Amino acid sequence: MNLRGTASRTPAGGMRPGGADERELLNRVGARDLDAFERLYRLYQPRLARFLINLVRRPQLVEEVLNDTMMVVWQTAGKFRGTSKPSTWIFAIAYRKAQKAKARWPDPVEAKGEDRRASAEPEPDEQLRHSRLHDALITAMNGLSADHRAVVDLTYFHGMGYREIAEVLDCPVNTVKTRMFHARRRLRAAMIGSLPDWL
Amino acid sequence: MSNPAFNDAVHDEAEELLPWYATGQLNPADRGAVERHLASCARCQRQLAFERQLIEQVRALDVAVDSGWARLRARIVRPPRSASTLARATRGFWDILRRPGVAAIATAQVVLLLVAAAILVPMSQPSYQALGSSGAPATANIIVIFRPGSTEQDIRELLRASDASVVGGPTAANAYLLHVRPERRPAALAALQSADIIQLAQPVDDARS
Repeated sequence: MNLRGTASRTPAGGMRPGGADERELLNRVGARDLDAFERLYRLYQPRLARFLINLVRRPQLVEEVLNDTMMVVWQTAGKFRGTSKPSTWIFAIAYRKAQKAKARWPDPVEAKGEDRRASAEPEPDEQLRHSRLHDALITAMNGLSADHRAVVDLTYFHGMGYREIAEVLDCPVNTVKTRMFHARRRLRAAMIGSLPDWL
Repeated sequence: MSNPAFNDAVHDEAEELLPWYATGQLNPADRGAVERHLASCARCQRQLAFERQLIEQVRALDVAVDSGWARLRARIVRPPRSASTLARATRGFWDILRRPGVAAIATAQVVLLLVAAAILVPMSQPSYQALGSSGAPATANIIVIFRPGSTEQDIRELLRASDASVVGGPTAANAYLLHVRPERRPAALAALQSADIIQLAQPVDDARS
């Protein structure tokens, strides 16, 4: 399964389609237009895959949750009233599906919430291939809870505002801001700490 | 006359909104408030510059590949000698000692070693205790920056609560190097990172004071 999206450069690359296009697609999906649904699927697969891998952390679960999500979209698109953006509505469905999947398959990695790299021996060869910054950021991201990771990725990668994120994650706006504040502190520390001249 | 409490509230609110300011996802009212605050807050200006670097880095992450690799790597790379391997090695040692013939020689050598240790260990202890030489190793495994204005009492209480000792610093960047027992490091980092007086707390490896 390809989890790298070709259309996933949403905020910076401008590849995210306009809300009006997506609304039109959803309307057609609501009228049982399978071609329109395939287009919507291809549009959302990479974005949802990235969102979901941050939440469920099991690649084999991502496709299952993603297709369950899109099945709900297929079945209920006719009821979409347009009070929120199509992306908010679809991501919110994906989040709920991910929560159910996580209840069935608790994430063993996340439960530890540790700093794995701290206990690992330094590997000069690996450091030649990867930048310290990249490794530090990955470690810091992995050290965050799934909900913190979700807020970070929805903000930075998917280009959502904090109100939209609150709607997707079904939580208060202040919770989104607080999660982001703490996540940034960890990520920022990881970035600073990885600079070789820091000491 | 400015009200410091009010300014703090404005600062905190603007700081929280910086990520969405940087991604252009604020409504006009929020954006205006952040811009007004940014004009006079050097700290938020620095944070915004950092925010933009962070955005670039996070967008460049390939989450599926990177997180998959991190998990696989964690299965391959283990601490050099875990408790279980040490236990296995110890069991192997005793198995050898219990072999007939080895036992008698080994017993005599162990007695000799114990006698030697009883003589040599006291000799190796320094006859005086220098101020601050509490026996902490000189290897730093955490780096911290305290917020300006933190008091000595705040710092002392936090270090005690985190089981951390200062082994170096201040560096050119006003950072201090700490040592905690390796098994305590995740908990100590969590405690430090959640403390109000800490601006930055970050693990470091192989840092000498």
